[in-house]
Amino acid sequence: MSFDPNDPALRRRRSRPQLARRDVLRGGVWLGVGLGAAPLLAACGNDSTGGTADGSTPYPLARPDKPVKLAIKDSNPPIDDGLDPEEGGTFNILNYAQYMAPAVMKNFGKKHNVSVEVTPYNNYDEMLAKIRQPGQSFDLVFPGPSVLSKMVYAELLQPLNHSYIPHLDNVWPEFQDPWYDQGAQYTLPYTIYGTGVLYRADVVTSVPEVGYDLLWDKTYSGKVYLLDDRQEAIGMSLLRDKITDDINTSNADDIKKATDSLIELINLVKVKTDVNAYSEVPEGTATVHQCWSGDAIAGQYYLPKGQTPEVLGYWRPSPTDYVIGSDVIGIPKSAKKPVLAHLMMNDLIDNKIGLQNFGWNGYQPPINKLSAGYLVDQGYIPKNLSNAVVVRGDFDKGHTFYEVSPSTEALWQDNWARFKAGA
Amino acid sequence: MPDPVSEKAPTKAPDHDRATRRLWPALALPGTLWLIALFVVPFYAVMSVAFSGQINIFNEPLPAWNPLNWEWSTFGTVLQDSFTPSGAYHEVWVRTAIYSFWALVICVTIGYPVAYYTARLAGKRRGLILALVLAPWWINYITRMLAWVNLLQDDGYVNKVLGLVGIPAHSWLSGSSFTVVWALAYGYLPYFIIPLFASLDRIDQRLLEASRDLGIGSVRTFLHVTLPLSRLGLITALVITALPMAGDYYTNTIVSGSPNTNMVGNQIELFLLEGPQKNIGASLVLVLSLVLMFFMFYYLILTQRASREATR
Amino acid sequence: MTVSERPAATATPARTRRRVPPWRNPWRRPYVLAAITWAYILWSLVPVLIAIQFSFNDGRSRSTWQGFSRQWYCCNEGSVFEDPSMFHSLRNSLILGIATVIVATPLGVALAMGLTRWRSRASAVANGISLVPLVTPEIVVGSALYLVVVNLYQFVPLGRPAMLLGHVTFTVSYVLVIVRSRLLSIGGEYEEAARDLGANSMQAIRTILLPLLTPAVFASAMIVFATSLDDFVVSQFLFGSADNETVPILLYNAVRAAPTPALNALASILLVGSFLALILAYLVLRARRRGSDESALESLADWG
Repeated sequence: MSFDPNDPALRRRRSRPQLARRDVLRGGVWLGVGLGAAPLLAACGNDSTGGTADGSTPYPLARPDKPVKLAIKDSNPPIDDGLDPEEGGTFNILNYAQYMAPAVMKNFGKKHNVSVEVTPYNNYDEMLAKIRQPGQSFDLVFPGPSVLSKMVYAELLQPLNHSYIPHLDNVWPEFQDPWYDQGAQYTLPYTIYGTGVLYRADVVTSVPEVGYDLLWDKTYSGKVYLLDDRQEAIGMSLLRDKITDDINTSNADDIKKATDSLIELINLVKVKTDVNAYSEVPEGTATVHQCWSGDAIAGQYYLPKGQTPEVLGYWRPSPTDYVIGSDVIGIPKSAKKPVLAHLMMNDLIDNKIGLQNFGWNGYQPPINKLSAGYLVDQGYIPKNLSNAVVVRGDFDKGHTFYEVSPSTEALWQDNWARFKAGA
Repeated sequence: MPDPVSEKAPTKAPDHDRATRRLWPALALPGTLWLIALFVVPFYAVMSVAFSGQINIFNEPLPAWNPLNWEWSTFGTVLQDSFTPSGAYHEVWVRTAIYSFWALVICVTIGYPVAYYTARLAGKRRGLILALVLAPWWINYITRMLAWVNLLQDDGYVNKVLGLVGIPAHSWLSGSSFTVVWALAYGYLPYFIIPLFASLDRIDQRLLEASRDLGIGSVRTFLHVTLPLSRLGLITALVITALPMAGDYYTNTIVSGSPNTNMVGNQIELFLLEGPQKNIGASLVLVLSLVLMFFMFYYLILTQRASREATR
Repeated sequence: MTVSERPAATATPARTRRRVPPWRNPWRRPYVLAAITWAYILWSLVPVLIAIQFSFNDGRSRSTWQGFSRQWYCCNEGSVFEDPSMFHSLRNSLILGIATVIVATPLGVALAMGLTRWRSRASAVANGISLVPLVTPEIVVGSALYLVVVNLYQFVPLGRPAMLLGHVTFTVSYVLVIVRSRLLSIGGEYEEAARDLGANSMQAIRTILLPLLTPAVFASAMIVFATSLDDFVVSQFLFGSADNETVPILLYNAVRAAPTPALNALASILLVGSFLALILAYLVLRARRRGSDESALESLADWG
């Protein structure tokens, strides 16, 4: 049905259309009234977790040579001993995607009658944004040493009660008392890894001495990926260009130079960023992918039918240039099921379950029994990827990311945003 | 034919009048309050975050609700970075404008004929064709993009078809502006066609016949009769498509993923969801809204003028 | 003067009558436009059909056909029914969609009726505010709602409550536009007649106006449902944690992670569900059509 704009019978009933000048003025009056009410709004809604920071921080910044014992506040005590595990409902995990074996989660869920769900994030910034949203509660979170101190200061994590975690003895001694959390008061180690380059051995003809140069190689244009993590990407560029040995630098010029090198990649090889090396290189979507060592090992499980792990290759720098990291497990203060959270942490450092988890996600847990030699012997690590294993010596010699002040972080983030804005 | 009944001026009893007058505002009140609380106030929240002067240890801005506490430094920096040619975000804005422009060109080129045909020339099959043209509304946008990702992969059907003709396989999903522009057009065409269809549908056939009777050929009839009559619908369609398209970020993430095709929306997502510096994100949102509001007011004024002309 | 007289304008004998060449004949069949339209329809819908085809792929690839298999639907590991997150996302999408329809449709209809009949300056401002969500990019709406929920309306938790608020906010405008254009074309004479016969305004609305508006109300309910199901940006900003994920969020995250044909399967299920709902509504609408001269389909497309 159509009505004729020229039909006089309908003229009267057309409503007065949009904004005339007087309406705009009137709207302005209302807006002014609204703004005048703003001071009332100032009374509600707040988000105060600390003052501004400009290089100095109210919380200690841990370093491998300056270990830190995180404070336990009275306002944030650990849970009591001897409580029963909670049952029923959802057990919420905040973690990287595809970072814990579904079988491990399913078995845990069945044993304790809960349904286990994972909320994924791509990097620590996202993780912090999610865990800090009001009204959100997660039962388990997987941060890293570079964000730990401020999370404890902001009371985002609760201290652990070791009576629920007898398997702590399974873990490497240096992780029972790590430099970023002496006494393992807030965290347990989850995985250890190094950062290298995963490539298709059947496509890449020769690997240069500095394997990072593969990312700058035009022959693989369109299939080159960086890690979608500002620390890893910019840090890699700092080391490759030999700008500085300090991958936690706060020197604005150095960071800018390193980012400019990365920006070259955009037009040179049409670089993309994500954290899915484990699936993309085996599937052939990526030929060269900056990755974590666990991605290389997990890649064997994502190969299409009929292909063997020989098509994958992993390059790592020398031990003194290797970027080593570890992820830890913590319990958010807002956890609704803290006892279950402790039990899951305990499971993850159990020899059998830890091995089962490794067999799925490829990332080594620092468990005594699961040494590099053991894993290779048991066939978990293909021969051609045996350099993807992390050995204890790597930790003494390599670089690691540690926590920096907010102003340094802002510097890194602004440069990362510059990279993401395109060439 | 003017209807003698409706020509009569309505005579209402006085008490009906008062009750009627109070009824209509009362009906409109819940909706209006809802929109104020959930559309106008959030916009004010964006301003409070963009103009906030304090950050906490997570580098997050504390919103400044009182306008007297507003600080313009972050917003100023963002403006500067956006509109000076060497600024960090300048490239992104220019790229967004270019992609939107070309996608709109494609939308008009394809959408107008389709709308015209469906509205006026479809004859017996009109219901079927209208249903098929409307169908994408019921298909998830992400699903439609996913479908194209399937086809555009290196071993997908598009490359296979090109291979039959002898064209070498092209990598469509690696930061190609061409792919992003066509994906935007593909995604937003259904939203473009509908208002245009409604407007073309309303054009009185007698006007076209009269023009032909006067001896004017098809092309000139189109240019001088159809196009002006459908102008309002065309502008509505353009506004409904262009403005949301300018804020799109998921299309290029799905079909490209390279920083080289990032639009303003990606930067906003980066700062608001994946990082602590939300005041920069909020400032970008404000700048985007201001730019688009300009076009929106132009559209509102045009519709007002057009309706006034129509009722003259 | 009628058109049908034109081909024989001059009184010449039949054999010397000039045949108008096809490109000069304004009443020829519109082959070019028809071709463009059908080409568009194919271009628009065939990729989705191919995506549905690949949801039955026997193998992980989404671009190379490896044989027919139902593994991605049920019941292997990694299929839609075995993966709890996919199941939950489907459920979340449907619940959110229905809730949005229940809230947005009455709100929008009341708003449309009020704004159309209320003549004053304030109504023009309200009118303007109501139409702005239609043209605002979703990222602006989503980010504004996110910032306000996190900083001001902290009593509204992120997740389903916040998502419901967000969805209703931007779908109310659709209801407004559709119902209002129908209201304008109905005109006020029916209500006047009712009032002349002694009904008060509320009765007139309930017994006369609402039944006349039924096609438009149904059409707008359908559009609200489809829009809510389809919404990605507002949901992404407001969902909070994984158990509130809707299907678009899941698909988006999974496309960037490790996509398998299970995604195609999930998308196909949602598609079939939406179409079934649509067909159901269409049948109900057709059955209830009482003297309205507009088909249900046309109401959907009537954007005055």
